Amino acid sequence: MPDKVVDARGSYCPGPLMELIKTIKKADVGAVIEVLSSDQGSAKDIPEWVKKSGNELVYSEKDEAGGYWRIAVKKVK
Amino acid sequence: MADAPKLALVLMSPELERLHAAAMMGSVAAMSGMEVNIFVTMGATKMFLKETVEKQDFVLTDVGKTLLEKKVDLYYKLFEDAKEMGSLKVYICSLVSDLMDWKREDFLDIVEDIVGVVAFFGMAEGAQIVTV
Repeated sequence: MPDKVVDARGSYCPGPLMELIKTIKKADVGAVIEVLSSDQGSAKDIPEWVKKSGNELVYSEKDEAGGYWRIAVKKVK
Repeated sequence: MADAPKLALVLMSPELERLHAAAMMGSVAAMSGMEVNIFVTMGATKMFLKETVEKQDFVLTDVGKTLLEKKVDLYYKLFEDAKEMGSLKVYICSLVSDLMDWKREDFLDIVEDIVGVVAFFGMAEGAQIVTV
């Protein structure tokens, strides 16, 4: 279970990523943040950012019925 | 922060979609820990006036029109958020503000200062410079 869920559905790129970064900055190391995004670009961009920033991608999956992505990130530093 | 990777953006075009592209790159870079300096010159300068934003007096092409219709957060909002969360500074070209007789207080609050090219080069030293 994520420690916090950021619902960025309806927000365009780079909105969901920005929301994630804001939340991660405030979170404790080890916390898992889940972002909900209906933006296709963010589904590709967020995992890229996670890799580059040295955090850990827990999962990235599409909710086909709802037409949005669930992307979870663990803050490692 | 002296060793942080640096990005410098030079904004010249008044087109909303170009400003938006710059705002996306600049804000993502700043929030990812890069030091970002933005130099606004020529046609882009007017787009940083309070009056322009109040009147939503934008230069629109296809994507720009759609940005407005779909109520996407626009460049000034993206820059504002990035300033809060990272190191991003917006500078206005002194030549254009002199020519057009625009004063410091005519510009949006996100604007750091009015500077010349030499000052901007000083800030942009060691940065990747991208012109939009």
